[in-house]
Amino acid sequence: MFEVRRLSKSFGGIHAVNDCSFAVDEGSITALIGPNGAGKTTVFNLISGTLASDSGEVWLEGKRIDSLRPHQITRRGMSRTFQITRTLEDLTVLENLIVQSRVTGIGGLFRKAIGSAEEARAMELLDFVGITRLAHEEARNLSFGQKKLMDFAALLMSEPKIILLDEPAGGVNPTLLEAIVGHIQELNRGGLTVLIVEHNIELVMSISHKVVVMAYGSVIAEGEPDAIQADRRVLDAYLGAQSADA
Amino acid sequence: MTDRQNIDTVLAERDAYNAALAGTRRRGGSWPALLVILAALALFPLVQLTGGNWNYPLHLMLYAFMYVAMTSGWNILGGFAGYISIGHNVFFCIGGYVSGMLLASYGISSFLTAPLAGVVAMAVGFCVGFITLRVRGPAFIISSIALLMVARILFDNWDFVGGSNGISLPRMELPVQYVKIPYYYAMLVIAVASLVASYAIRHSKFGLGLRAISQDEIKAESAGIDTRFYKILAFAISAFFVGTAGAIWGEYMTYIRPNIFLIILVAANMVLMCILGGKGTVAGPVVGTVLLIAFNEFFVSQFGASQINILGTGIIMILALMFFPNGIVGTLRRRGRLPRILDWD
Repeated sequence: MFEVRRLSKSFGGIHAVNDCSFAVDEGSITALIGPNGAGKTTVFNLISGTLASDSGEVWLEGKRIDSLRPHQITRRGMSRTFQITRTLEDLTVLENLIVQSRVTGIGGLFRKAIGSAEEARAMELLDFVGITRLAHEEARNLSFGQKKLMDFAALLMSEPKIILLDEPAGGVNPTLLEAIVGHIQELNRGGLTVLIVEHNIELVMSISHKVVVMAYGSVIAEGEPDAIQADRRVLDAYLGAQSADA
Repeated sequence: MTDRQNIDTVLAERDAYNAALAGTRRRGGSWPALLVILAALALFPLVQLTGGNWNYPLHLMLYAFMYVAMTSGWNILGGFAGYISIGHNVFFCIGGYVSGMLLASYGISSFLTAPLAGVVAMAVGFCVGFITLRVRGPAFIISSIALLMVARILFDNWDFVGGSNGISLPRMELPVQYVKIPYYYAMLVIAVASLVASYAIRHSKFGLGLRAISQDEIKAESAGIDTRFYKILAFAISAFFVGTAGAIWGEYMTYIRPNIFLIILVAANMVLMCILGGKGTVAGPVVGTVLLIAFNEFFVSQFGASQINILGTGIIMILALMFFPNGIVGTLRRRGRLPRILDWD
């Protein structure tokens, strides 16, 4: 469904992503893991068009998308969250969701900002993540956890086929984490493909169908969670070369 | 009271607050009051028929309408999208020159050609925006100043349009006590049109997209908004209203010359009026324009047209922004104290 082929990106003399290739199967939850500085978020930025790659290809449903701008990629059915939650602070929660809905043609631009069908869909999604009561609150007034949930709901507003989640568990309490994991699994059961960058290995191993491990900008291993946990290259990457000597 | 009761009380209060919030909708503006004000403005020139000399108030009001139109137009780009342009008077100049040249060469009144002048300004705005909106923040501000400087050099040295001396335009053949009235109505129409457009954009998907861009452009682009197109379109629409006002202003002044249009004061006024009233709000440009002109008139009446009146207006601006950091309308809204008559957002 989705494939990255020989993707590379350098910042000055630093090879942040180096000849990176992996695939994500339709309907799966695939996790992209690796130590800090492995290049995971850069890969996310390259895939979503936020950064331009130096070389390599990104394919979504048989079409190349690496030359597209971020909004075009979103319209093709791929939505993402950011490592540090980005919310439109002066907009209400409802507007933060509505802004993700599709606008077609010049005429569409001048339609009412919040249509009734979109509002109903947005309220449904807010209900899904349990923050309906905050619909008319400005996003700046939300707590960190509420912003995470709003971001998650907004992601779904564009009716994506694949979602890219950058550290969804980062900085959230166990209760909220449980809720987020539940939402991801429920959406995946509904057919949504998920690519997730996460440091919480326990979470990754419990929900992923496939794990891709990166180190120094390259993919060093990929496979099912159980196999990855036993892979010596992965242990070396996380713990250093001494694991090989132990 | 036990801990459990405390928690229950807090939760109950929080639920009540949230329920009230969820039930809250933005209050609409006070339309009947606004219509009364508009009717009063439309009838105001009739006082001139009483035989009194109301020429200066008429001039002041049409000057205010012109700035309402230009500031509202500027606000579409600078307020909604957050792109501060200090070169928007270039479109004021383009509008003035397009209509002025048509009047000087073919005798066609600016009242007829003002929309065309606006369209030309819009087309130029589209092209300029296509180039300059690739950058943001301070780089965009500098590019807008560069636009102003380039335009000034161009118009100062373009012989076809009279160079730095400009061109005189024929004066409208009306008795002196009535000559301002047509310009008054023209500027009033442009001001109302720009406010209606601003209101329509603010409440449209386009406006929502622009507001998202002003908050976080990367997030807006990732949300599926074609940020480049939105910004260029906002630039072009804002140029239209500024250009249309310029068309009427040129004929009103009876001459077109670069130093009427292409001085930094005109651009600075647009920015300051908008910031004072409330950048990114529909009513802000009106409030800012009225207050800045009123302050200036007050200081001129007290100290004459000296440097002191500029100093006085500057001090008022600083004080206003200390107490109203988001502009008057923006700050009052955030504090929940915005009068209904100004709640147009």
